[in-house]
Amino acid sequence: MNPWIAIGALTFVAIAIPLSMMGLSSLLRPSVPAQGKRAIYESGEVPTGSTRIRFNIQYYMVALLFVVFDIETVLIFPWTVIYREAVGEVGLLSALAPMLGFIAILVVGLAWAWRKGAVQWVRNTEPENWQVSR
Amino acid sequence: MRAGGPPLQQGTTTANATGGATTTANATGAANATNGSAAGVGPTAPETISGWLGLGANPDPGVQFLIGIVVASLIATVFLGLAAFAGIWGKRKITAAFTDRIAVNRVGPFGLLIIVADAVRLLSKELIVPEDVDRPAYDIAPMLVPFSALLGFAVIPMGSGLQLADPETGFVFVFAAASIASLGLLTAGYASNNKYSFLGGLRAVAQNLAYEIPLVVTAASVVLFAGTLRMSEIVAAQAEPLVTVAGFAIPAWFAFVNPFAFVLFMTANLAEVGRNPFDVPEAPGELVAGYMTEYSSVYFVLLYLGEFLHIFLGGAIVATLFLGGPAGPGPAALGLVWFMLKVLAVYLFTQWMRSAIPRVRIDQLIEIGWKGMLVLSFANLVLTAVIVGLIV
Repeated sequence: MNPWIAIGALTFVAIAIPLSMMGLSSLLRPSVPAQGKRAIYESGEVPTGSTRIRFNIQYYMVALLFVVFDIETVLIFPWTVIYREAVGEVGLLSALAPMLGFIAILVVGLAWAWRKGAVQWVRNTEPENWQVSR
Repeated sequence: MRAGGPPLQQGTTTANATGGATTTANATGAANATNGSAAGVGPTAPETISGWLGLGANPDPGVQFLIGIVVASLIATVFLGLAAFAGIWGKRKITAAFTDRIAVNRVGPFGLLIIVADAVRLLSKELIVPEDVDRPAYDIAPMLVPFSALLGFAVIPMGSGLQLADPETGFVFVFAAASIASLGLLTAGYASNNKYSFLGGLRAVAQNLAYEIPLVVTAASVVLFAGTLRMSEIVAAQAEPLVTVAGFAIPAWFAFVNPFAFVLFMTANLAEVGRNPFDVPEAPGELVAGYMTEYSSVYFVLLYLGEFLHIFLGGAIVATLFLGGPAGPGPAALGLVWFMLKVLAVYLFTQWMRSAIPRVRIDQLIEIGWKGMLVLSFANLVLTAVIVGLIV
């Protein structure tokens, strides 16, 4: 049997279950519109400003790093699968050394990013200038 | 490993024999997954059902889909039930036990009927949609989270012949499916038009990115031993005894073979499911409820359910890769019981951590992930490769 047909069936079920729960809930739940109910939650205060704000660049740096290592992981997988056979056929050194070299290059990349502070949380410098009046 | 050939021949041999013959993974011997044969690997559940119905090993694709729906519904029901049990009742009871309280005990025996009461209560709550939410995204996000977790269960061998599908790339599939949840969390955070949600969504993504690589690379060290990406063969590779201590054979579960990888994987898994010490995306006290802040009624139920499904998916991955899957004493038909016990043990572990360990800050989280876990996971991979190379 084709396993992907069965997985497709699970995809179908996994979409149908949330949809049916939403349908069931829409039959059960009340709707009581009231003024102020739909305001977004900001600890009970009147919401100020937009949510589309400037945020810490760190999230972007981390995402960039992730792309590098994610592709690397994809390239490691075929090697892990054939590794045991390869050791039997061509010996430990020939099976291991190329991947060691590959990982070493990436580790150099990580070390560089580390030194540049890409994995260091970027601090907002503003609070240091603030003086709390006492 | 099973190079070429139609992906069905395994079914033709086994499913035509007595359909329910559960030659599951812990059937002894011959389970040397590296020699390329699928010995010790039983038929998947759809193949078994097809055999029972006398449809042969390769029925019409439409029929295959229908059988798949039946098995998929069964698996989804089991794990939704488990998530309801754990999320509504188990969580409270465990936390209460850790903090010396009693928790729910009014409705039904041990308060168990609170599951039904809470399910009805939550589904019948009013759905309050805040102003200016990004509408299609706001509705899609709560569907994505449970969807991704349920999809991951497709390739998990649960023992007693309950496995929906067994593709050759099952190992990659389960991680790919589990990662879709990050997308749901970011969508939920961004679409809610709430600053708490927004920060929660960003944190969820940053955390999943930081810990995904250590998770997958650590899991790859298991593949080094097993030499296959097929989940049932990974389980079969753990069936042989590792050492015999005083007449008691310790199986070659990868948690025993490579305890370092097991610890790393459990830690990274905690971050992936967002539990203490890595629960910064929700961080009540900092971010109210993180990406869930603006969700109510059924949408909240779906997000909450998806979270617990993810814990169970994480548990299922841990059980399959490191704890021998459905292996355990007794007949092979008991596999499902052992599998569930292992999954629940991982769940108990996450709840234990939740009660016992404080939360790390977001900057600490990123540093632990990129400077600690990543380096350790690569060290683990290289060390494992050297050891495997030397013992082969």
